[in-house]
Amino acid sequence: MKAEYANVFIRSAVSVFRQELGVALSRKDITRKNAPVPSLPTCIVIGITGAVRGQVVYSMDSHFAYSVSRAMMPNKLPNDLKKLTNSAVSEIANMITGQASIALAGEDKLIHLTPPAVFSGRNMRLDFLAIPTISLSFISEIGSLEVNIAFTEDKGRQ
Amino acid sequence: MKSGLIVDDAAVMRIRLRDILESRYDVVGEAGNGDEALKLYDKFRPDFVTLDITMPQLNGLEALGRLIQIHPDAKVVIVSAVGQKKMVFEAIAKGAKDFIIKPFDPQRVIISIDRLFT
Repeated sequence: MKAEYANVFIRSAVSVFRQELGVALSRKDITRKNAPVPSLPTCIVIGITGAVRGQVVYSMDSHFAYSVSRAMMPNKLPNDLKKLTNSAVSEIANMITGQASIALAGEDKLIHLTPPAVFSGRNMRLDFLAIPTISLSFISEIGSLEVNIAFTEDKGRQ
Repeated sequence: MKSGLIVDDAAVMRIRLRDILESRYDVVGEAGNGDEALKLYDKFRPDFVTLDITMPQLNGLEALGRLIQIHPDAKVVIVSAVGQKKMVFEAIAKGAKDFIIKPFDPQRVIISIDRLFT
């Protein structure tokens, strides 16, 4: 998988967090994995089809997820924020992936995203396809975010 | 007051758009997917629709095509994170009046909807 995908997602994540949440996100590590298996207990999975195909798997802890919800809707009460946390982290993942897809699609390609699916819980088991993965980790004042990018480029499709 | 329908699968975005629009427009309904959007459009006949693209069941571009086929005068503004050039062209070709890319500035939304009625 192309290493430049990492740069596209780093730019998108930093930009979306700054613009949507007012949170400064800093890159910590870039590692390679055999599959986009998340390291943290709350994860959001977005499928990708079209000019590139695969999955992006975001992961974070529950405090980070709640903080995202609070930053998106600062006027809501804590009970409302808890109910909206999955929606908030899904939408942030959708924005990051969407913004990355704009750069990856360029002038003439199309990339389709599936609606985000959220999974959480320390004892859950999810099986992921073995696709070479670039794993990005970020740190911020609200905690850590991991972004696992597992893409295969399909030159014959648009 | 002109009326609007908000279509987005994310509850947080429906809340955000409602908060932005309600000071100037009557938000008559919210839908979480394209099928629901078509039903609510028939029910309320709103003056405008904000429409997300990435949604379960019927996505925004499919819903836009069907809506414009049945109601050629429908005023639809796409509000989506997937602002790829080819996607924007497809949406405009299908009849969308504007394409707002998420994340957005609230003022950008107001300007876009205001422009539909001037």
